[in-house]
Amino acid sequence: MEETFKTIKTDVLVIGAGGAGMRASIAVKEAGLDVVMVTKSLLGKAHTVMAEGGIAAALGNVDPQDNWKVHYGDIIEEGVYISNWKMAEICAKEAPERVFELESYGALFDRTPDGRILQRAFGAHTYRRLCHVGDRTGLEIIKTLEDQILHRDVKFYDEMYITKIVVKNGKACGAIGIKMNTGEFHYFQAKSVIVATGGCGRVYKVTSNSWESTGDGLGLAYEAGAVLKDMEMIQFHPTGMVYPPGVKGLLITEAVRGEGGILLNSKGERYMLRYSPQKKELDARDVVARANYREIQEGRGTEHGGVYLDITSKGADYIKHKLPSMYMQFMEFAGVDITKEKMEVAPTVHYQMGGIRVEPETGHSSLEGLFAAGEVASGLHGANRLGGNSLADILVFGRRAGIGAAEYSKNVKDIEVDTKVVNDEIKRIKGFLRKDGKNPYELIDRLTTAMSDHVGIVRTKEEIEKAIKIINELKEDYKNVGSLGSFKYNHGLLGCLELGNMLIATEAISRAALMREESRGAHTRVDFPKKDKNWLKNIEIKKANSGMQFDVVPVEEMPEEYKQYAKPEEY
Amino acid sequence: MTDINLKIYRFNPEEESVGKFVEYKVPYVDGMVVLDAVRYVQEKIDPTLAIRWNCKAAKCGSCSAEINNRPSLMCKTRVDSIGNNISVAPMGAYPNIKDLVTDISANWSILKKIPPFTPKPGMEKPWRIHPADVERSKEFKKCIECFLCQDVCHVIREHNTKYFGPRHMVKAASMDMHPLDVLDRSEFLDDEGGIGFCNITKCCQDVCPEHIHITDNAIIQEKERAADLKYDPIAMIIKRRKSRKEKVVK
Amino acid sequence: MVENVTSTKNTGETRKPLIPVELTEANWRFWSFVLLALIAIYLMTEFQVPVVQGLTDPFYSPTILVLPLVAGFRATCYAYRKDYHRHLFNHPNACNTDVRKEFKGRKYTGETRLFRLENYHRYFWYTAVAILPFFYYDLYIALTYQAGQFTLSLGALLLILNTLWVTIYTFSCHYFRHATGGNIDCYSCPVNKKSVRRGFFNRISAINHHHEMFAWISLASFFLVDLFIRGVGAGLSINPILLNFKW
Repeated sequence: MEETFKTIKTDVLVIGAGGAGMRASIAVKEAGLDVVMVTKSLLGKAHTVMAEGGIAAALGNVDPQDNWKVHYGDIIEEGVYISNWKMAEICAKEAPERVFELESYGALFDRTPDGRILQRAFGAHTYRRLCHVGDRTGLEIIKTLEDQILHRDVKFYDEMYITKIVVKNGKACGAIGIKMNTGEFHYFQAKSVIVATGGCGRVYKVTSNSWESTGDGLGLAYEAGAVLKDMEMIQFHPTGMVYPPGVKGLLITEAVRGEGGILLNSKGERYMLRYSPQKKELDARDVVARANYREIQEGRGTEHGGVYLDITSKGADYIKHKLPSMYMQFMEFAGVDITKEKMEVAPTVHYQMGGIRVEPETGHSSLEGLFAAGEVASGLHGANRLGGNSLADILVFGRRAGIGAAEYSKNVKDIEVDTKVVNDEIKRIKGFLRKDGKNPYELIDRLTTAMSDHVGIVRTKEEIEKAIKIINELKEDYKNVGSLGSFKYNHGLLGCLELGNMLIATEAISRAALMREESRGAHTRVDFPKKDKNWLKNIEIKKANSGMQFDVVPVEEMPEEYKQYAKPEEY
Repeated sequence: MTDINLKIYRFNPEEESVGKFVEYKVPYVDGMVVLDAVRYVQEKIDPTLAIRWNCKAAKCGSCSAEINNRPSLMCKTRVDSIGNNISVAPMGAYPNIKDLVTDISANWSILKKIPPFTPKPGMEKPWRIHPADVERSKEFKKCIECFLCQDVCHVIREHNTKYFGPRHMVKAASMDMHPLDVLDRSEFLDDEGGIGFCNITKCCQDVCPEHIHITDNAIIQEKERAADLKYDPIAMIIKRRKSRKEKVVK
Repeated sequence: MVENVTSTKNTGETRKPLIPVELTEANWRFWSFVLLALIAIYLMTEFQVPVVQGLTDPFYSPTILVLPLVAGFRATCYAYRKDYHRHLFNHPNACNTDVRKEFKGRKYTGETRLFRLENYHRYFWYTAVAILPFFYYDLYIALTYQAGQFTLSLGALLLILNTLWVTIYTFSCHYFRHATGGNIDCYSCPVNKKSVRRGFFNRISAINHHHEMFAWISLASFFLVDLFIRGVGAGLSINPILLNFKW
């Protein structure tokens, strides 16, 4: 039976309208090509709005000693030497340019007294480096880019859920999606596809990520045949809200610590002096998150299972001026006045360091015609991400992916696929609409609970194996999942589709975590507590006939001159 | 507190022509917000319930609805602040798509019309701006585009005019009051944006979840600027003389 | 988990308040004006003013001469505009959707047709500023009417307060705020330029924030002081001298 769908032709298709997707679309448009941007939610609601702290860019406005080499060194050290050196270099060098560009688009950063962009201290950055707009930097970025998207007449389809990337002759050449608010299917025919769908934080129960971050891009790219990398590296943010239960996991920006907040356990002890005497609260996120976790585990936590974060010493005016949305967040969600009381915090899932393996300069993935940028791409952050580097990442590599895709598309002819491909996909989706299907939310709940319980901040072989077992069971159950209703704005159906991607992401995370028998960065194995020299490697994941295929690939060695920028690795 | 009686507006345009309120019982959890209750219905009772939500932290502005007849964000309205008889309706100013989801795409075409940020040409980079000059525009940039102000605005809701609505006045003001912007959008807002239709009744300011002083700081300021350019003969003469001077300087 | 369809109309979710919303919302100001006016009219008829210097018109007072200007100033003021648009024209009468009187298709032109005149608020403001010195002159007279002495009577005290409120009201005006600095986007461009206007603007903004309150207080005190003076004029002994000393 022939299915009805709309066909939309374009040069470049951008999936995702967060910071990376928008910046990529602008870059394609600037290159003079036709671009279509699709997003799962509304324009300007992407997870980028949740970014609070700022953009890491070595402007040296506050600390003049800062330059890209120091930033580069910080990235490599924080990524525990498994970052891609080329990406780190590009990011450190280009971030200031992107900040100025953003300013020319209309963003207004906080200023120093002499009128330059103000920079704040952040965890594990050598110097004060984060250009910020109070604590709503992400909002400023997304609204500024949204403005550009609208005024540059970029075509966009919001509430469009992409279910499949179309591949022909080993080339990505479009995608199939369902427009949620009308229930219509769309086939996007494109010369190249940029995936900028963000991370997969929602595969965990306690997460700071928004509803959208279900790892859709990972699933799409994996199914299309692209290689994923470093999936075991999931960043836990040390400070997420604990109480009330409804907001558990909600992010408390690192800026609170950057502005002088200190961490205390229930005995009133500033325990970070024990864990990290030099950098204290502003050490790398993995260090602080593990410290918080340990304090809570060892019984020095609060009654709701958290530790205290205290910024009261800074005075009410300062807090309200510098951390307005944190003040509001605690006032309205928890009824806590942070200018007078301590906050309760606990680690929460924050970021996915791994993702689609891309070429540093262009963002081209291993699949021809498929590009990736932002959180869904991997390489820059290695084993752990520096705070503020994600915003630098989306702007720098979003633009690069846009330019890369535009260059690529100029030399490619239109690839048409048989309508059968589209019809088959629509049929597959129709299969989810049934009466007796299992409730997708129930399965998602089981999956996220399993991930939080077994592949959390501290991992062991037995625990991870438990998670893998549950994932395998859920994969069986997934065959019977389904929802009532129609195609039009059906969250149940969406849950079914997302679950498929979440299963791919979780399988990749847990099996890669099982493979990496060492503790490095965000990945901590109790049974292998030491860093292992033999694991100076990346785990790459590819779709094979038998399921997921894992390859261990050594990290590309950086040139001699770059080695001096970062401290040599110690074991 | 005991169970919550949650009335949710249900409307499926494929099956019916008018919507209806359906009542659900939802167990109360400490510190619960309305979105938690609505999500409970979606996850445990009826997965086909259509809602929009993203961040659940009052940062994205997706979950706008009329809670107990007051336009509010579902994720920001705590159940214990409004009691356990709760009604949730979609925004009334926009066409309903399904259940609590409304079509707000009209806003994109309005945003497209507002002239974009235009910096002074030929400024030396990096730009320098005094920290205090940032403050005014920054207030408007807090806007999360939840469109609650648009929803509560009686001009948008009840009358068919060319008025853009509070959100777009804030957008224009954020660029007008940007220290390095050279355009003056007030005349445009008066001619095209219908700022004259606003009668300062300040409901938008009341419901704004980001507590932006929409009327006082954005709309009235723009009205006064428009008056400078269009109504006040003395100001018009001064302005004209000034701009002539500037031209000479250039 | 009971699931049952209730009415299609969104009613009964919020308890109807005992006192009308118009009175409990922030717009009780409007009704208090009405009340004040009624009291004033009643008192005016109650206490006849004796004939002074051959003038017998009961409404005669210098206030009448400037009343159109003062009334114009207040009628075009943003604070009053809110009140009468809400309560005289019901555009809209309340923010909550259930108590709002929605007449679909009701004609509405906002401030585009006749009310476009409200854009001339600034000219009324100029006259209001011109009238202000007379308040201070009155005050001066009230304090020094006994030659060589400073006399603070209850009436003079009320006059002091009245003058103060009217002054604050006049200078918290949105137009004044606009003129002092609201029309400037950048005070320190280039960055090192010193500017006093920012500080000025910030202070005006701070009092402008309470403009609606000052609008009400100043009008109420206006009424009361005028009544008081009339009462004194009618020969009531309500004006005790509180303080009296020689310079």
